[in-house]
Amino acid sequence: MIDPLFLEGIIKILFVFVLISAGLIISTRNLSSILTSYTIQSFLLAAVSFLLYLIDGKSQLLLLAGLTLGSKVILIPYFISRIEEKIRIGRDIHFTYLEPTTSLMLSIGLIILSYSSLSKIFEGLPLSKLFFFGAVIGLSLTLMGMLVVFSRKRVITKALGYLSMENGVLMFGLFVTELPFIIEVLIVIDLIILVILTTILAVGMDSSIEEYREKVRKLQIWTGGEFR
Amino acid sequence: MIRYYLLIMGIFLAFGLIPKSHRLMNALAAGNGLLHLVVSWVALFMLDLPVRLGESLYMDHLNLYVELITALGFTAAAFYARGYTDSLMEEGELDPKNLKTFYLAFNLLLITATVALFSDNLALLWIFAELTTVCAAMLVAILSARENIDAALKYVFIVSGSMLFAFLGLIFLFTLSEQALGEGTLNWTELSVHVSEFSPALLLASFTSVFIGFGAKAGVAPFHTWLPDAYARAPSVSAILSGLMQNLGIYGIIRMYALLRESSAAPHASSILLAAGVFSIALASFSMFQQRNLKRLIAFSSVEHMGLLLIGIGIGTRLALFWTLFYMLVHVLIKETLLFSAGVLHRQYRSNMRENMWNVFKLQPRAAWSLILGSIAIVGMPPFPLFPAKFFILLESAAISPYLTLAVLLMLILAAASFANFLFKAFSKVTVEEENEKDRHMASAHVETGRAELKTPTGKADYDEIRLPNQYIVRSGMRVPAVFMLALALSLGIYFPDSLRDLLDAIILELGYV
Repeated sequence: MIDPLFLEGIIKILFVFVLISAGLIISTRNLSSILTSYTIQSFLLAAVSFLLYLIDGKSQLLLLAGLTLGSKVILIPYFISRIEEKIRIGRDIHFTYLEPTTSLMLSIGLIILSYSSLSKIFEGLPLSKLFFFGAVIGLSLTLMGMLVVFSRKRVITKALGYLSMENGVLMFGLFVTELPFIIEVLIVIDLIILVILTTILAVGMDSSIEEYREKVRKLQIWTGGEFR
Repeated sequence: MIRYYLLIMGIFLAFGLIPKSHRLMNALAAGNGLLHLVVSWVALFMLDLPVRLGESLYMDHLNLYVELITALGFTAAAFYARGYTDSLMEEGELDPKNLKTFYLAFNLLLITATVALFSDNLALLWIFAELTTVCAAMLVAILSARENIDAALKYVFIVSGSMLFAFLGLIFLFTLSEQALGEGTLNWTELSVHVSEFSPALLLASFTSVFIGFGAKAGVAPFHTWLPDAYARAPSVSAILSGLMQNLGIYGIIRMYALLRESSAAPHASSILLAAGVFSIALASFSMFQQRNLKRLIAFSSVEHMGLLLIGIGIGTRLALFWTLFYMLVHVLIKETLLFSAGVLHRQYRSNMRENMWNVFKLQPRAAWSLILGSIAIVGMPPFPLFPAKFFILLESAAISPYLTLAVLLMLILAAASFANFLFKAFSKVTVEEENEKDRHMASAHVETGRAELKTPTGKADYDEIRLPNQYIVRSGMRVPAVFMLALALSLGIYFPDSLRDLLDAIILELGYV
């Protein structure tokens, strides 16, 4: 049995890395690096829930870690990287409303905001310090993901921002309460459908219509495979 | 029960993939809508409401009422879709290969919305509401033009992103129930029993988050930005966007507000709703004023009406809620009439822009008239039922602040003026042929008085380039839904059925308004 205090310490270190990965998604210009940051972030999330399992011993957390690993570390990044190859765009250098530096400054503000608002809301709740901190990180991650959706122009990056938002929500749920496992599964299914839809549409946004039709046919989504 | 429903509907959808003819696909969609309409109608009269079937299916008067509106709007849209998609395919705007996907997403939209409405469990409601977003986005993107994909993506990101906040709200609620009951639950029925034991601060936080999510779904400002694009770009589907998606959002907000109505957080929640409502109305009416795009005009009018609905919910009295519920029904009827007519005009002129519309009365007289009548109805003129609905909501809002009433009234007048402005400018333009005809008439009139030489056709050169486009032949079945909806709205304005009143009273009673 490993000392729980030691595990809590590791979780706290992982929090920092989660925030760094969110910052990278906000500021990096290279598409494949953004995807890598997202994959790492999801992996960190899986690691956190595994460590929580080691502390608590609830099998649900282990299942959640497995689910995150399977869907968000392997399946979704694989799918997005295939799409990225298809659209043949390596970089996303366009930002609307906010430049990366401003976004990063803003996200520091968002972290402080979520800390102060959550400390008010959770006043009466018996949350331990670690769990409260986890909730703050989760909320900040959600808000930072929202910044990405706002400020990035390429659809693929927007989708990754949305995914990172969802990671934040999951993290928040992980630390605040124990949601029934079936809900987590349904969310992941919902997420996969959304990712498939948006990324396929993303192919359309980054090419002319004729090319797009060609590409969509290759993916055989609309036509159900009867047309090649 | 929901499992069985999904199973049956899954079989139905799989069956719907078989036919190759458009007629059959369309008939299946219309049949689907009619089936939902009839079943919910029967359930409304046969069952002893509220009733719980199985683990998570819950029926009460509110969700049956909203389901009836949804199914009605859906059926009308299905009837309209046949002729509309046919002409889209003829123009090459819709790939015939995508037709199956279109109907798949179309049917799926009704099914997911139905599950969302009838689930007692908030998490199920959330997930199926998310899935309706996906289906609707597919419908918007189906035309595979760049702008459509753009609109669909905007829609997905804004609504799904906001729905994630709603999920945060659910987590708050779950925590609250865990504290109060020892075991967490997300069932409406259980939550509403124990709501008095919850901490108001956390309840308000959860209300705010859920409001962000469902507000975005309803198209409430400032989360409305997806709506004008989706309306303007989507094919006739945008009619179900208003009938189905926006009402689903409002449904979530009504439930959530009814939940915390008894707690001390209620005044804060009310002020959030009122502020968002006034902001929506203000933003919409000012955006409408110089709007030259017909579908965008209608879209912003939706934002305006959602704002009014929020005010109706936020006032929190019985009377206001009664008329808000009635408003939901009438809004769908009239909005669909407007959108169907706008769809006909779009087929005629290949554009939604005001400046491209000429000789409307000659080319599409019926669409023009239903647009005019629909506009009269939507701004709330007396023979139409939006008048009493708006009147009583505004009357109730005066109890909160007369300034609020005055401000809303002024903005409603501005919105009405925008409709008048648009119709006047779009429908009063004629091309050279008609102008000549008029001149001839005038000339002959003048000949009789002996002053014919004074009048020569002026301004002819200006109109020379604009030729009268060929008349678009409106396919059979495209007019029926618009006329039907408008007639239904008009009859509701003249005669208020007792059964409807009883239904609305029952909803209010069930929601705990005493």
